[in-house]
Amino acid sequence: MNATMMKRSAGRFGGDSCDGGAGTLWRHQNLPVRFWIISMMLVLIGLASLKIR
Amino acid sequence: MLLWLFQQLGQDIRAFNVFNYLTLRAVLATLTALTISFIVGPAVIRKLTALKIGQSVRTDGPQTHLVKSGTPTMGGALILVSVTVTTLLWADLSNHYVWVALATLVGFGVIGWVDDWRKVVEKNSRGLPSRWKYFWQSVIGLAVAVYLWQSASLPSHTELILPFVKHGTIALSAFAFIALTYFVIVGASNAVNLTDGLDGLAILPTVMVASALAIFAYVAGNAVFSKYLGLPFVPGAGELAIFCAAMAGAGLAFLWFNAYPAEVFMGDVGALALGAALGVVAVIVRQEIVLFIMCGVFVMETLSVMVQVASFKLTGKRVFRMAPIHHHYELKGWKENQVVVRFWIISMMLVLIGLASLKIR
Repeated sequence: MNATMMKRSAGRFGGDSCDGGAGTLWRHQNLPVRFWIISMMLVLIGLASLKIR
Repeated sequence: MLLWLFQQLGQDIRAFNVFNYLTLRAVLATLTALTISFIVGPAVIRKLTALKIGQSVRTDGPQTHLVKSGTPTMGGALILVSVTVTTLLWADLSNHYVWVALATLVGFGVIGWVDDWRKVVEKNSRGLPSRWKYFWQSVIGLAVAVYLWQSASLPSHTELILPFVKHGTIALSAFAFIALTYFVIVGASNAVNLTDGLDGLAILPTVMVASALAIFAYVAGNAVFSKYLGLPFVPGAGELAIFCAAMAGAGLAFLWFNAYPAEVFMGDVGALALGAALGVVAVIVRQEIVLFIMCGVFVMETLSVMVQVASFKLTGKRVFRMAPIHHHYELKGWKENQVVVRFWIISMMLVLIGLASLKIR
């Protein structure tokens, strides 16, 4: 299996016990955006209180 | 469906009448779409991965994108299911605008689905041939345009509204209205599709524009607010706020999985459908020009492709290092995340300008 094929089969989060957790680090790069989404949802709920009472 | 149920219950228990309020149903629609996508999302991604429905990445694109090869695509189906189910649950199903919007969403989704399926599953690199893609987009776009022209009950329903201009309206002939509607729906659909090239780049501007359109729909459907703000009153258009809210909720939940590094891509099934849905809502609430402003990022991406192709054909030279323009900035050295977040910021500013047109005229 060549390098490209390995990438294809493993996807972007490919990694094994030998990668020093690189796969996990890679995955966690989306944490900031996920925190923004949570924040946006909370703002929505806050705004809903304008009308829902 | 739920509205009908609560209306029946409201005859005996008055508390259920609270669900007649559009604003409450819009908030609940957002939360419902979010919940559906969050619950179903991981299962859909697992299924797409198991079926090996993975994106193939253009080899002539930025080299940093090669690692994305194999990431599951067609995740837009999740958005479509979430929006459709939520709209069926919370919207007034006797409202014809709701059905027009849903039909457009699903119709363009089917075109995108066929294209994705051929590319990814049948490994046919051409997918659905362009001429057939545009043919079916045109069929749906024209059908919607003709229907909206036929069903218009007031002259204001077919006038072009000029934002930031007091009493700025232009009466449109049948041909002009149908041509404009077709252009807005098909154009928005393809523009979102072109923009969908980086993780999260297309979905958050879509969420922002859908949220703004929900406000426009609410105002257009309210006789008092539309008169106060000098916008055309379109009876029934308020229900589209539910549809837009569902899009915003489903889109936000999709971003959870689509944020860099994306676990899933929306594919044509999502991009074509969401763009067309934004277009049809803007046409119904008579805000085509405001949509053009708010969708500035999508417009910029589309123009960059047009300029690049025209320039290369006419002079043999490229204006951008690569089109669409997000690749140009990547090749200039911006990180993918920087391009995406900066385009989001531009989109946010444009949506704010669009919303300002509610009051400034």
